[in-house]
Amino acid sequence: MTDEKKNIDDNTEQGKVGIYICYCGGNISDHVDVEKVRDRMEKLPGVSVARTNMFMCSDPGQEMIMEDLKNGTVNRVVVASCAPSLHETTFRNTLIRAGMNPYIYDHANIREHVSWVHHGEAATDKATRLVSAAAAKAEQLRPLEPIRVDAKPHATVIGGGIAGLRAAKDLADRGIEVTLIEKSPFLGGQLARLDRIAPTGDSAADLVKDLAGQVLANPMITVQTCAAVERFEGYVGSFKLGVKKQPPKFSQEDDKSKRGGLDGVNPGDYVPFSGVYPDPVPAEAEDFTIETGVIVLATGFKSYVPRRGEYGYRDFKEVITLTDLIQTLAETPAEGDRLKVNGRQIRSIAMIHCVGSRQIPGIHPEDESGNLNEYCSRTCCSATLNAANIIRQTYPGTSVYEFYRDIRTYGRGQEELYNDAGKNKVVFLRYEAEDAPQVVENTDSDDYPLRVKVNDTLTFGEEVEVPADLVVLATGMEPTGISELVDMMKLPVGTDRFLLEVHPKLRPVELPQAGILLAGTCQAPMDVGEACNGAGGAAVKAAAILGRGYVELDPFVAEVDASKCNGTGACVEACLVEGALRMVETEMDGVRRAEVTPALCTGCGACVAVCPQNAIDINGWTLKQYEAMVDRIVAADVAA
Amino acid sequence: MALVNPDFAQEIAKHGNETALECFNCGTCAAICPLIYEHFPRRMIRYIQIGAKDRILENAQELWRCLHCGLCTQTCPRGADPGEVILGLKRYVVADWRRS
Repeated sequence: MTDEKKNIDDNTEQGKVGIYICYCGGNISDHVDVEKVRDRMEKLPGVSVARTNMFMCSDPGQEMIMEDLKNGTVNRVVVASCAPSLHETTFRNTLIRAGMNPYIYDHANIREHVSWVHHGEAATDKATRLVSAAAAKAEQLRPLEPIRVDAKPHATVIGGGIAGLRAAKDLADRGIEVTLIEKSPFLGGQLARLDRIAPTGDSAADLVKDLAGQVLANPMITVQTCAAVERFEGYVGSFKLGVKKQPPKFSQEDDKSKRGGLDGVNPGDYVPFSGVYPDPVPAEAEDFTIETGVIVLATGFKSYVPRRGEYGYRDFKEVITLTDLIQTLAETPAEGDRLKVNGRQIRSIAMIHCVGSRQIPGIHPEDESGNLNEYCSRTCCSATLNAANIIRQTYPGTSVYEFYRDIRTYGRGQEELYNDAGKNKVVFLRYEAEDAPQVVENTDSDDYPLRVKVNDTLTFGEEVEVPADLVVLATGMEPTGISELVDMMKLPVGTDRFLLEVHPKLRPVELPQAGILLAGTCQAPMDVGEACNGAGGAAVKAAAILGRGYVELDPFVAEVDASKCNGTGACVEACLVEGALRMVETEMDGVRRAEVTPALCTGCGACVAVCPQNAIDINGWTLKQYEAMVDRIVAADVAA
Repeated sequence: MALVNPDFAQEIAKHGNETALECFNCGTCAAICPLIYEHFPRRMIRYIQIGAKDRILENAQELWRCLHCGLCTQTCPRGADPGEVILGLKRYVVADWRRS
């Protein structure tokens, strides 16, 4: 707050409440008789003025409030308008611009809670009660100061894929020290498992080497591979992360994809289909703690693994996933007219779209945990078309058949992949979700090992059988298993199991937990460019938090009245957040009393409910204020 | 059931049919065709795409109803040249008849 701020001492100055009721351009006034509400408010005790405006959030609306504050007509403000999530901050800022404390403000929601759901006289009466309750509360509001927390100028990025690398580099460029924590021995994540990236044809290896090289060369960034976060405490500006670094355990499956063998690999090498190997793996486990101001989550995705028997997967060795195909293509020298896989000539490839994506309840079976992937994985259409084009251009003797539900090539330059597929003579067959293709063993005399049967809507619903030497499943994305992080940090997770941002449009990389940000595919399926966009956004948000050196938090937290507290400790037992409340011996008289750590307190009020002395209260939402609101709501004459 | 024949496209190419696989099955040609209903000429083009040779021969008489007005070729958004594809199919059907 600036020094110009007028000092309001609520002990001496009687509350002079100003009520400002918004028409919302008809959104409110079509159902609520706004002028009638205004007339009723004007008569309330403690209310100095009640005014209306077509759009209170407009400049003239806000200036009207500022004028009343500046000339002393009012010293408490209530705006009755839309939901506080939309404009509470707007009007608190109006108070700041008028040189006032922003916390002598209360907001009444008479749009979402009234005009959008009630009509006629009932709407006007409910609006009246809500606004008068807000006025009663406003009378008792005290100026508050935001909680100020020092921010440690250090960021931690969890995940060393392309999004984590991008976020780490962007933060370091802003002059912030960064620790990058990666679970595997490699940097590059899932991108390192790809080859030529659609639609531009960039080499995934080059992208990873380039960005990982910049990260490793940057003295501001410390990279910790084979490391995982095991403990978490603290709050924005001052988090503490317990990290465990240990020798990697390689599973059989990893060995197949070359993630295992590190023999002959030197630090700094790029291991194809694994990534950049920055440091030798640790010989034994070690634990350390990182103190950090912000956390960027870049925990990525994992590829959907088809169940046994899904389109013949694991029943037939000729059925592979798209990632398998990409690696095979990259490792096969381009010789001859036909693609060869393990020495077998591939005359015909069937590629099936939407495997493990866009699943429909009642049609697709749930996995063993009861999950369905109802979302579109967004990248597989383009990746499949890209692979088909590469095959057709490199091996004209190999035919490609694509089985799709819908083709969604949604980004710049991606529709061209579909056009190119036509020019490359890729044949498309279309199936309905409830009538998926079947992969069966070929029992006819021709020597194709498999057949893919489909009721093809492009051939007028006729059953069509495609002979196939290879079946490729375009598997989608699933969230990485990060349930430990989710539990530790209490992260919100969507119904799709990806991490859930505060607002999909307006706050797309933030979580409700201040200081924890989202980068890349931990949030939703994305392509490389989108993941880097998200990472860049998260880095900027993180830098903005750390930039001032301190963080300001809303002051709506518990406060103990030391004169009343006699140390029952009931509040500490009731407290839902570890560390937010504790008993402390007071120097003055040696009595143990409750003490609040404001940065951790969520203002839930559990402590207020249990204190036998009424010695603890939530600032901005005190028991007295609630009582005043309730009294006003039940008062008989308010809406008369 | 129609069994897809991956080699058919090459066979038909000898008769001057190079563009049928560029068709993306929008049906504009069938909508604009003034003479023949029942998805002509798209149905024939689709049979080429999947190599359903039997279906083409079964329905060969449709090919000779086409007057080659050229409306389908003019309106095809993919440049798949349906009119020329039908001509090529006529050549293929005649050659097949000669062989048998």
